[in-house]
Formats: sequence, structure tokens, C-alpha cells
Amino acid sequence: MTDTYITNAIWALNGAELDLRMGQNGESPLTLFVDDIPLTGVCEVAPAGQMPIPSGARVINAEGKLLLPALFDLHAKIEIAGCSKRESIYRNGQAAIQGGVWGMLVMPTPGFCFDNAYTLDSFADAVTQRSAATMIPAGCITEGMEGSQQTPYNTLAARGVSILCDAEHVTDNLLMLHRAMKYAAELGLTFAIRGDVPALTRNTYMHPGSTSYKLGLHGTPACAEEIGLETIIRLAADTGAKLHVQTVSTAAGVNIIRRAKESGMKGLTAEVALHHLLYTHEDVADYDTTFKTVPPLREQTDCDALLQGVKDGTIDCIVTDHTPCIPFAKKQDFVSAPQGMVALDTFLQAIYTQLVKPGKLTWKDVVRACCTNPARIANPYDQEEDTPVVAPLLLFDPNTEFTVTEAMMNCGTTNTPLLGRTLYGGITLPLC
Amino acid sequence: MPTINKAEIEQALDAWVNHLLQHTVPQATGKLAIVGLITHGDVLARRLVHKLAAAGYEAEYGAIDITLYRDDLSLRGIRPALSSSYLPFSPDDMTLVLVDDVCNTGRTARAAMEVIFEYGRPSRVELQCLVDRGERQLPIQPNYAAFTLTAPQNTRVQLRLTDIDGEENITY
Amino acid sequence: MNPRKDLITIDSLSDEDIRTILDSTSAMKEIFTKSVKKVPALKGKSVLTLFYEPSTRTRSSFEVAAHRLSADVTTFTVSTSSVVKGESVHDTIDTLMSMKMDYIIVRHKNSGIPAVIARHCKASVINAGDGAHAHPSQAFLDAFTIREKYGDVAGKRVVIIGDILHSRVARSTSTILRRLGADVAYMGPGPLVPQEQHTGIPRFTDWEQVFRWKPDVIYLLRVQNERMDTPFFPRGDYHQAFGVTEERLRRIDDLNLSIMHPGPVNRGVEICDAAMDYRNCLINNQVENGIAARMSILYHLTPQTQNND
Repeated sequence: MTDTYITNAIWALNGAELDLRMGQNGESPLTLFVDDIPLTGVCEVAPAGQMPIPSGARVINAEGKLLLPALFDLHAKIEIAGCSKRESIYRNGQAAIQGGVWGMLVMPTPGFCFDNAYTLDSFADAVTQRSAATMIPAGCITEGMEGSQQTPYNTLAARGVSILCDAEHVTDNLLMLHRAMKYAAELGLTFAIRGDVPALTRNTYMHPGSTSYKLGLHGTPACAEEIGLETIIRLAADTGAKLHVQTVSTAAGVNIIRRAKESGMKGLTAEVALHHLLYTHEDVADYDTTFKTVPPLREQTDCDALLQGVKDGTIDCIVTDHTPCIPFAKKQDFVSAPQGMVALDTFLQAIYTQLVKPGKLTWKDVVRACCTNPARIANPYDQEEDTPVVAPLLLFDPNTEFTVTEAMMNCGTTNTPLLGRTLYGGITLPLC
Repeated sequence: MPTINKAEIEQALDAWVNHLLQHTVPQATGKLAIVGLITHGDVLARRLVHKLAAAGYEAEYGAIDITLYRDDLSLRGIRPALSSSYLPFSPDDMTLVLVDDVCNTGRTARAAMEVIFEYGRPSRVELQCLVDRGERQLPIQPNYAAFTLTAPQNTRVQLRLTDIDGEENITY
Repeated sequence: MNPRKDLITIDSLSDEDIRTILDSTSAMKEIFTKSVKKVPALKGKSVLTLFYEPSTRTRSSFEVAAHRLSADVTTFTVSTSSVVKGESVHDTIDTLMSMKMDYIIVRHKNSGIPAVIARHCKASVINAGDGAHAHPSQAFLDAFTIREKYGDVAGKRVVIIGDILHSRVARSTSTILRRLGADVAYMGPGPLVPQEQHTGIPRFTDWEQVFRWKPDVIYLLRVQNERMDTPFFPRGDYHQAFGVTEERLRRIDDLNLSIMHPGPVNRGVEICDAAMDYRNCLINNQVENGIAARMSILYHLTPQTQNND
């Protein structure tokens, strides 16, 4: 295989591994030599013009483009109704690569119920054969995600599971959860749970406010998230289990996590879904089911607090909370329609256009929240090679402009508010 | 654009009242009511009733809105606004004179008769109008027309009355 | 009034639309004085009532209205079994499309269902109540009743009392009254009255505040115990705390205020027996005006079914 060199790329980040090897701060064009493992290896780096390029080598001129580590998404669902599992895996893998995402933690869903060894094995096989992106399953906390009987944690851990999650199902059986955490803590497993009190949020459909009043929809009180967060944080602290808080949606929730981290609690991480940084309950407008999410979209002040949480490190990761919903399902009325939006296909482009370009986040924030932190939490590991999997690099062209169309949605569903919107960003992944 | 002016309309109304007194009243069975078709016909009817009263004859006054009885309602995108009919008497055994401004296709008169019969069973109904401009589409003829015009096809014959439009004339 | 296919909310109407429908309501009411209480305006048109929630009053009011306009009325019985089986509204819509209905009058427990149906069929869809969202025909009959009583809605003060949170009537009626220039306030048990910052409507929680506000109309809502899976307030208190008691009725009488209620009335809960016979109790007028208002609504909507494309 021919050697590949990338010339004139801009490494815009400080403090990252690559930069340290260069011994200088970024923003200067550089040349890379990429070896024949296309997704992972970067072998040598030198300032532009300082690395001799042998004749006959493949050269990618990356002038004007940014060199970034590819993204890792800690929260994606890949089941598509009416689609085979293998097809779902293929489509979401394509979607991820298009959005600059090289790997993801796959949430259990009824079709991908990761509560037993067989499902995990067949999933791993299908991913190897069909997916362009790395897919790591999150094991179920309880059998069938029903909240009563714990799954065989040893068996799951032996198959590479390091994170346990019952997707959006939050149990009200605290005794079961307490015992599960005690047991799993011994195995070093992380619990990924959302802050919620089901009794307070049953039959509620959106954030309580002027829009919910106008539409006559019952509101999901913010206190349910706060109480739920306090509860799982205390359970984790008591049992010593690692806790990853999923999809924080409220300003008070950010404060609770901040306090817990400040108090020195170990093994506590948190994530926010991209849509909770960008949209509010007012976007639901006249029953737009695209904006039906769990937890619901809240106030602008919550968006601001969540963004601040990302910047100061209270929130470790930004995730897609990617949830494919077929058009028929979303065409139903707001109460009956399923929750969630898809985000993998446009993840990095949307982050750049909606957060980096307007100056709300820096590239450094993005790399920390979307690359380094999620990869560290999910800890992708190559069982056969017995080595950690390293994130590949991608090239990002901030000048590429495009309009999001239905045809562009590799994941096969179109439940995104971005249809018809203009985004910026051209992604080269893998590099060669 | 040919115009009939206010004075000519006033003259015509006097002639109309004469016709009512000399022909309609003698033939009337039961009490006589002048019933105008909203809009414009009702204004004419009220004036006729006043003029009859001045001549010493008391006739009842009524007004009906035929909109809900039009045969072209479902063909129109926009539903015309409605007015309230005013028929403070039962038409049973009375003679009713339906007063229309412009008699054209005959469809309005047809609808008006349908309305009347839903209030009761008059003994006799006449149709009288200010202008007969012809082009009938139904076998209906006015018993009396103050003006008979032969306007070219598709021209709009329009009556304006001071009470409604702030001026008074007929244009076509 | 511009051609309009559906009536889903008051918000979707222009001021002119609201005025036109109200004005025509008077003309429709005049029809009731004829010996033949019927006009041929909708002759040959088909009207379907599709009620997913039990309702005798609204449904028969719409049916009478449709009959008086000479439309053919079909009652679609939504069997509870097919709902339990999870038949989606879309499947029902397909069935309705095949029936070639011109008007569909729909009530459903989920907010937003009539809008979904309206988007997917050519028939005119009239929202007869969806969840806690909207009940526009009730709003029209209420506005008309107040206009009939006082000559004008503008400048009147109407306090809506009861379970605002679950009430589509409160939402639609307050909207139309405010559009017509009235002042509206809400009063009820704390947990059932939304915050003023969300509604833009003053919020009271006791009768003294109501009387101080100097209302013209006391609009009582029905306490909907059937909608509350977990109780919102202590049941025993309601009449004494929020109902029109005999003592309050005397004050209402002294001040010459009107009483309205969308029905059906829980006697002894929202309202004492004596209030039903009170001289300014407009509840029966509301029922009669309901038919006229619904005739006016049916008349002013234009189904897309008459276009042959």
C-alpha cells in the first residue's frame, strides 16, 4: 500500500497529545505521514515543509482544513422500526461517519436488548461485518430493561461491556438499583442513568410553561430530574459504583452535578444532548413532534446553564441522543408520537455551525466534550489485540456549505429539525 | 355608463306605489305584506310601506335573507355573510309582495319563495322589482318592474341606495 | 371571511373571521323562530361526528346544528376495542377519507389530534374538544351569549373559575373573549390554575379577590374528577372554597352578575341548586346559542371535497 502524506493541515488545538509531540502551539500548517491503518495511525508529524515526502507517495493537500480527532458519541440508539438489525447497524454506521463520529455507545432498545451473551455476540459480529463506525453496546441494567431482575454483569463484562444502562427507562425500585450498583462496582462497571422520578413524569409530554399551557399538554416538572439526580448520585456514592449521568436538561441539574464533583465524588461524569443546548420548549410551537424529546426541551436559561456546564467541565460530554423515528410515527399527534431526534448524520457540522461558529464553544471545548471525554468514559478496547482503540483523525473544512436534505440522512429517518437548514463543514473521515 | 338618477328612482317608486294601490291591493286576499330581499330589496320595501301609509294604506313590512337558500353556496369558496330575516307575522293566508332590487336570473326569487313557505302558507305571492334586466334562467317573471332594461350580456346592473351606499342611482 | 377549511383553535382565526362567525350566529338563531327550523344551506353535504370521548351535549348540539342546515349526519362510533387494540388515528383517517365526508367533527382525549386529522384529509375538520387544548365552538357560543346579554363583549370582565389546568374550555373561551376586548381572570384551587407568566391572565385563588376584581360574568367550569388519576386537591373542600354557595349567590345577585357554565353541571359542587334558577343564570341560553354558533361554524367552513381535483 502506498504511503500517504497530509500537507498544510491546521492543527488548531492546544494541549492534545499530537501537539505535545510537536513541542509547539498549534495554528501552523503541518505535514503528517499516515500509515496503512487508515482509521487509526498517525505516525509522524512535522511543521510544513520540514518532512521530506518521497516521490510516488499519496499526498492530500489539506490547505484551509482543520485536523481534529474524530468524535465519539456516548448516547445513540440505532434501532429503526421495520428495518432489520443488520440494516440498522449499516445505516447508522454510515450516518456516524458522515457526521464525523468514529464510534458510539449503543443504547439498548427492544430490538437490541443487550441483557445476554447471545445478543452481544451477534451484535459484535454484525457490527464487524456491516458498520463503518465502531459500535460499543451498553449492557442492560435489568433483564428486558424492566427494572426488576439484574442482568448477568460478569457475563456482559467478559464480552467487553463497561457501561450499563436501561436506556430511557428509569426504575423506581431503588433497592434493586442499590444492590445492582454494589455488585457491579466490584466489576468496575459504570452506570449510565438519567435523573428522573417516573411517578412525577408519567403522562407528561413537554416542559411546563407558556407553550404547554397553550397546547394543553401536561408538563414534565424540572424537580423530577433534580430529585432523580440526587438519588442516583447518593446511591452511586454509597455503593462506590461509577455513575455517568445521561442527558441533563435543567440548570438545577447542572448545579447538582457541579456540587457533587466539587465535593470530591469520584467516578461521576455527565452528558448533555446537543438538542438541549440548542432548542427550547418554544420550538414545539404548534405540536411539532420533531421537538418531542425525553427529557423535554426547556427554557433558554437552561440551555445557557448547560452550555456553561460544558465549558467549565461540569458536563463532560455532548452526545447526540440519536433516536431514529420513522416518519409515520412522528406524524401522529404529539401525545402518541415517539420522542427523540436523529443527530449522527450532521453531528460535527451542527456543532460547528450552531456552537463553534457563533463563538459559544471553542474547538478545544468540542474536542474535550465530543472526543476525549466520551472515549475515556466508554473506554473502547480491542479484545483481540488486547489494546485500547485510539481515535482516528479527520479533516474538517469549515468553508464547505450545504443544505440538509432528506436524501442526506443515511440513518434512514428524517426526524431532525435541520432539514432544509444550511450547515457548514466538510468532513474527511477516514483520512485515506 | 348609462345611469338612472335619484330623482328618476323616486319617480319610479311613486309609480310603483300607484301600481300597488290600483292593482295589487284590490286583488289581495287577506292582509298585505311588503317583504324585501336583503340587501337593497328590504330598503325599497320599507320605503314602499311608508309611501303606502302616506296614501292611507297600512301594509306589513318584512325582510328576508335568502343567502342560506342560494343554489350556488357549495360552488363558492367564500360563504357570503348572513343577515337576520325579519318577519314579525305569520304569512298564513296573507298576500305577500316580494321586493327585489334587480331581477335577473330568477334564482333569487326562487330562493325567496322557498324561504317564505318555511314561515307559513301565504294565500298569494307576487314578485315586484325595481329593475328587470332580463336574462332569466328560470320560469319566473316579476308581476311588476319599475324599469325594464336591455343591458348587454354580462354587464352588472347595480342599484345604490342612500341608506346603504351613501349615494342613490342605478348603473349598468 | 377568507375561505377556511378547518376550525381547530381560536388562535388560528383572524379578528374578521371571529366577527363574521359571531354575526352569522344571530342570523342562524333567527331560523329557530320559523315554523320550519331548517335551511337548505348544506343540503347534500355529509357531516360525521367522531367522538373518542363520551359526550352527549356537544355531540347532539353539533348534530342538531347540522340537521338544521339540511346536512346528512353520520355518527361514527369509535369502539373502545379498536382504540384498545391501538388502531392509530391514521388508520381511522383512511377509513374516513373513503367515506367521502365533507365535515368531520372530532373530539379526542389527546391534545392535537384534530390538527393531525385536518392535515391529512380534505374534509373540514371541526375540533369539538381535544385534551386540555381547545374547544372553539364552545368559545363562540360563550362569546355570543355574553354579546347577546350585554350588547358587546368588549370591556366586560369575565372570571373563569375551576380546574383551569385541565380545561380546554378555559383556554378557548378566554382567548376569544380577550380577542373581543374583554378582560379575563382565572380562579381556582392553586394547583389547577396555571401561573400568570405562562398565560398572561390574572390568577386568583379565592372569591374575595374575585369580587374585588369586579367581574361582570362568573364563568364556572366543571370539576372533572374523571380526568384526575391522582387527586389535585382535597375533594371535600371544593364547594365551600370555590363553588357558588347560597351566600355567594346573594352577593352575585346584589352585584347583578351573570353566571355561565359549559355543562354538565355538578350541583352542590361548582354551583348550589338555587343558582340554577337565578335570574342572570345564562346556562340555558348557552345551550340554545350552542346550536346557532355551531351552525354558523359549519356554514363558514369550506371543505376541500367540493373541488374535483
